[in-house]
Amino acid sequence: MESVKIEKLLEAYFDGSTTLAEEKLLRDYFNNNNVAGHLEQYIPIFKGLQVAREERSSRDFEMPESKPKTIKTWWYSVAAMLVVAFGVGSFYFSQPQYTQEEKEALAAFEESKNAMMLLSENLNKGAGQLTLVEQFEITKDKIFE
Amino acid sequence: MDKNEFTTIVMPLKDKLYRLAKRILVSTDEAEDAVQEVFLKLWKGKQQIENYKNPEAFAITMTKNYCLDRLKSKQASNLKIVHSNYQTSENIENNIEANDGVEMVFRIMETLPEQQKIVLQLRDVEEFEFSEIAKMLDSTETAIRVALSRARKTVRDEMIKKYNYGIS
Repeated sequence: MESVKIEKLLEAYFDGSTTLAEEKLLRDYFNNNNVAGHLEQYIPIFKGLQVAREERSSRDFEMPESKPKTIKTWWYSVAAMLVVAFGVGSFYFSQPQYTQEEKEALAAFEESKNAMMLLSENLNKGAGQLTLVEQFEITKDKIFE
Repeated sequence: MDKNEFTTIVMPLKDKLYRLAKRILVSTDEAEDAVQEVFLKLWKGKQQIENYKNPEAFAITMTKNYCLDRLKSKQASNLKIVHSNYQTSENIENNIEANDGVEMVFRIMETLPEQQKIVLQLRDVEEFEFSEIAKMLDSTETAIRVALSRARKTVRDEMIKKYNYGIS
């Protein structure tokens, strides 16, 4: 290919007005070995772009797995349910659970406690009255002195 | 969409996305991490990707955005110091005399502004039409042409500068 045409294409190339087809012509020309002497300075550019085009990643990219994710969320819901069930259950079972007999005994206990309280209250009242007797004694002592 | 369908759509894009990520992030590891991350994001939004007429453009836009974000968050760190080895490319090994020049071109490309890097990558490496690039980058064809022209000229001017310097 005559270098005049290449020169024209180059000019257009650097102005950003070449088409993809024209750019391919340039690439092919400069990646060939018969480059005109005065155009040799452009070789590295097109060789460089060619090298850039051939870059590959050697890493194996992991494709996201959909399965583990669903299993995970499934486990989360199971775990959450277990926790809730355990919470409710333990709350339920922590409530006092007496048999009928024990309940009666408890009621009886409460009743007798009340009775005792009543008794002691009255006793205290009576004991309070005793101070009056004591007062009586003091006054008596005063008089007879 | 199941995993197989997703893989058949996304896997062929792997190298393109990797090259773009590498152009922006420079480091091979960073670029690979970015691609992996983009794959995960695409998978999460897989219902979306079905709606897109062009999953490739969608994936490229996503990669670009992700890499630019990475760059922003790593701006202060040593990301740019990490240079990767172009020497692994067979092409360079086969053309030892071109090695210096090619490497120089890569160095120059690294110094371009991000937008120009991306445009140069998408046009001169991946060979997309201007209209496609404009859509991917949410820009206009004119703006893309201008950025591309600037990028190409910078590479040329820097190259010639260094080329002549090397000779004289």
